[in-house]
Amino acid sequence: MNLPSARVLTAGGLGATALGSGVALTATSGWLVVRASEQPVILTLLTAIVAVRTFGMARPVFRYWERLRSHDAALDELATARTRLYAALVPLTPGRLARRGRAAMLTGVVDDLTERVEAQVRVTVPILTTALTGAATAVLCAVVEPAAGAAVAALLVVAGATTTIAWRVESRGMADLTAARGDVTRTTELVASQALDLQAVGAQSVAINLVRTAQRRADALIRRQSWGRAATAATIPFATALATVVCAAVAVGSDHTAPVAALLVLAPFSLAEVFGALPEAARALARAQEAGVRLTQLLDERPAVAASPATSTSSAPDDPARAGTPHLRLSGVCASWDGIGNALDERDLEVEPGQVVAVTGPSGCGKSTMLAVLARQLDHNAGSYTVDGVEATDLDLESVRSLFAVVDDEPHVFATSVRENLRLASAEADDSEVSEALHAAGLGDWVRSLPDGLDTKLGTGARGLSGGERARLSIARALLSRRPVILLDEPVAHLDHPTAVAVLRDLVRSRAGRSVVVVSHRPEGLEGAQQTLPWDDATMELAHG
Amino acid sequence: MRPFDPAILRTLPQARRPLATLAAIGVAQGAATIGTAFALSSVVVAVVKGMPLGHPAAYLALLFVFRGTLALAGERVAAAAGTSVSGALREQLLSRWLAQTADERPDPATGVTLASQGAASVEPYVARYLPALVSAAVVPVLAVLVLVFVDWLSALVVVLTLPLLPLFAALIGATTRDATERRWGALADLSGHFLDVVRGLPTLVAYGRGDRQVKTIGEVSQAHRRTTMVTLRLAFLSSAALELLATICVAIVAVTVGLRLTHGSIDLGTGLVAILLAPEAYWPIRRVGAEFHSAADGAEALAAAIPMLDVVSTMPTTAGPGTLSARDLGYTYPGSTEPVIEGLDLTIAPGLTVLTGPSGCGKSTLLELLAGLRRPSAGSVTAPPTHLVTQRPFLTTASIRDNLVMGAGRAVPDDEIWATLRELELDGVVAAQRQGLDTPLGDDGRGLSAGQRARLVLARAGLGSADVVLLDEPTAHLDDDSAALVHSVIRRMARDRRVVAVTHRPELLALADQHVPLLTRSIPAGREVRA
Repeated sequence: MNLPSARVLTAGGLGATALGSGVALTATSGWLVVRASEQPVILTLLTAIVAVRTFGMARPVFRYWERLRSHDAALDELATARTRLYAALVPLTPGRLARRGRAAMLTGVVDDLTERVEAQVRVTVPILTTALTGAATAVLCAVVEPAAGAAVAALLVVAGATTTIAWRVESRGMADLTAARGDVTRTTELVASQALDLQAVGAQSVAINLVRTAQRRADALIRRQSWGRAATAATIPFATALATVVCAAVAVGSDHTAPVAALLVLAPFSLAEVFGALPEAARALARAQEAGVRLTQLLDERPAVAASPATSTSSAPDDPARAGTPHLRLSGVCASWDGIGNALDERDLEVEPGQVVAVTGPSGCGKSTMLAVLARQLDHNAGSYTVDGVEATDLDLESVRSLFAVVDDEPHVFATSVRENLRLASAEADDSEVSEALHAAGLGDWVRSLPDGLDTKLGTGARGLSGGERARLSIARALLSRRPVILLDEPVAHLDHPTAVAVLRDLVRSRAGRSVVVVSHRPEGLEGAQQTLPWDDATMELAHG
Repeated sequence: MRPFDPAILRTLPQARRPLATLAAIGVAQGAATIGTAFALSSVVVAVVKGMPLGHPAAYLALLFVFRGTLALAGERVAAAAGTSVSGALREQLLSRWLAQTADERPDPATGVTLASQGAASVEPYVARYLPALVSAAVVPVLAVLVLVFVDWLSALVVVLTLPLLPLFAALIGATTRDATERRWGALADLSGHFLDVVRGLPTLVAYGRGDRQVKTIGEVSQAHRRTTMVTLRLAFLSSAALELLATICVAIVAVTVGLRLTHGSIDLGTGLVAILLAPEAYWPIRRVGAEFHSAADGAEALAAAIPMLDVVSTMPTTAGPGTLSARDLGYTYPGSTEPVIEGLDLTIAPGLTVLTGPSGCGKSTLLELLAGLRRPSAGSVTAPPTHLVTQRPFLTTASIRDNLVMGAGRAVPDDEIWATLRELELDGVVAAQRQGLDTPLGDDGRGLSAGQRARLVLARAGLGSADVVLLDEPTAHLDDDSAALVHSVIRRMARDRRVVAVTHRPELLALADQHVPLLTRSIPAGREVRA
């Protein structure tokens, strides 16, 4: 954890004042009631009455102030952390991001960041507040009666120790629990999204068992993890009782007045509210640390592509449209994502300008890896990759990348207008070009049906799109970019058969001189390809379980 | 939205026990809280009056041990109840969907969200919000009841002031609702921006626009902070106001007690109990409000799930031993007006039947109708139990054996599995694996070639007990050699079962006993064309 900032310390101080007012409220009320029962002249009680009223008002006011300060500090920090995280992610994209379920993985990254930054509000401030209030109470008690102060201090130590234990218990199980929860989500998504395929083979009970097994494991881990919090929750009342009895015994043995004695007896009890936040803080701390570890692991990765060579022969001009369509050749190319096994093993490929090449084959035969090498998202480790006869690694990275428009299997639609969703591929494009690209991708009728045409807002919270519309939107982007080579990675993976055929047929028809490389495990709609390479020589090499 | 919908107890029987235990512990904790006020005041009285401390101290210690035990049980039970109720909800939803036709099921995206994130959000709802709700329901009532007997005047003050809290909360809510709603849209946009940009990062980088977003993110995040703070200020202000109100109410009790103490009209013990009990009447209600924001998602997920679980539905009964036929069959996709199949009459003879037709004419849909996985919009289907091999057959990361027998519905001896594999010429490949049948498959059959995968799912069909095997494009993405092998397997399979295959392959059509060509809108062109 980072050291708390000044703003967080301020928030902690305000929180301590609020909680301290609560403690003082209980203690002075006790004093007041006992004093009142001695039936003094009411005027002598006035100071105490004013104090009780002040503490009573101070508690909500300071709590309000603390919450404002701590949330503002956390949100400000979140803004900085987000900018920093995003900048760090750019060079890792897409080579070092998960290759399947990338959207879900990126959502996890955003959640992890939030979790880590929110730890300020949910961990640092409560712990600071508790420590300050507890210490102040112990000191005040010690001033009145040292033995009572010692009892309160001991209570504080016990609370701190048991919270530490709870945090350790939470942390120890956190990695396993995260994995188990991930398994529950994965199996749930599998069953929910493939219900029909499961019914088709009568595997309903097998499917439910998959989910149930994953759930059982998560249940067991959650129950085990709750021991830490439970132990804290149980220890604190017990320690409070001990401290109260000790204070009572001390008060009896001392020569303090009755009201002061009452104040001492009530002091440990008044801390109960202060300690209430500790078990939850222990849990939040463990979660924030786990999130931090995941983020660090990701950000410590080396980019999958070496930077441009110092003496790059910048033969590819800036405007890809004027460059003409390049001639691409891979020979004996190997590439690896993890540096251990090759995902692409000695493959050859030649794409002549304007050609449509289809590569089909089962999952895991290296098709997507080949696209990543072509688009310079991943460096190959053997063989040669040339663009118009020049080794691609000798060329400027950005200029090679700008030759390719990539349409992947999880096309993202941004929460903005249709126009802006397309113009990110070409900032200069005007409305007529945007409409033309939409029309060529088969979205002409669709965009005419939209309430606000090109201004219609898409994405989160706005109009939903079907899988086919998403794929077509991504293709329209690729067409608008005027980049000379379009790479499609399983573009129709989530589409039904007729839609898949139509989408690819339309693309091939409207490609206008561009080269197209499609990889797919289904060959639908690829009948128009000039070259079809079935990569179906995968031998059975399964993981050792 | 209701804080607690009792329908959950009816639709989720598995939730009854954990929720009952949770409630019981909540009630016991409430009682212990009340008891603490008495114990604490008796200790104070003993100290003040110089009476022996032994009994009150022992009483207090015992009570705190009891409270500690309850707190331990409470945390444990809450954690266990949270996960078991959310798991039960997930399992019920999935079981229900697996027992429904594709027409009745929610679309996959909605289903995935509800069963994963939705069910997960029920966990904090049960584990954190419900205990707070129980204590809010129990403690104030207990506190007031006890106060009536201890000091009726204090009880009267509490009863008169307690309703002010919800009233005040409602008033604040009503006056701030417009402002909150107006800001809500802007807030949702701003908070979603970062997630949107990060999820779209691969696209932005692909078009060389990754770096340009850095500045925007900083600006939008700061705008988000400012807007959020305005909303939060309002929320915090209203909870501070509620707390202040509660404090004032407690102060009124304290003042009446104090005045009577100075007059000597009540004794110290009674006064102390009244002053310690009065706050207990107010604060659980405030805690419910504080916990609710973490539970709102869970309550919403339950509200969406319960009606789905209440629906009683069954798969269409197609049972008819021997015959496999469709009469005047029609089908329209939900949400569509154009029927994809209309007025189809069809009788499938024993042997191998091949269905052909142009793309989009409803061939896959027809197979799903024959398998009873969709409910006909018109007409009817008669069919014995079927096994349908879809275009994307389900294969999971279990062992080869588990993948093969998952639909068999019986214990299948290894001999039989090997015999089937031998027939499909897969025995060599499997035997070459270090763990044989126990070798785990990769996700989606990763590690197998397309041809091996196609034969593996046929082996699964062979091990099933269904009399009819339906195949949707079984060899569409295979090279000619693999396809020929699979075709001969299909031919052999058709000796003792009815096999219906949809295909574009002329080679498979050549092997058919019966050919049913379908035109657009699935009106068969001519029937009983013997190959």
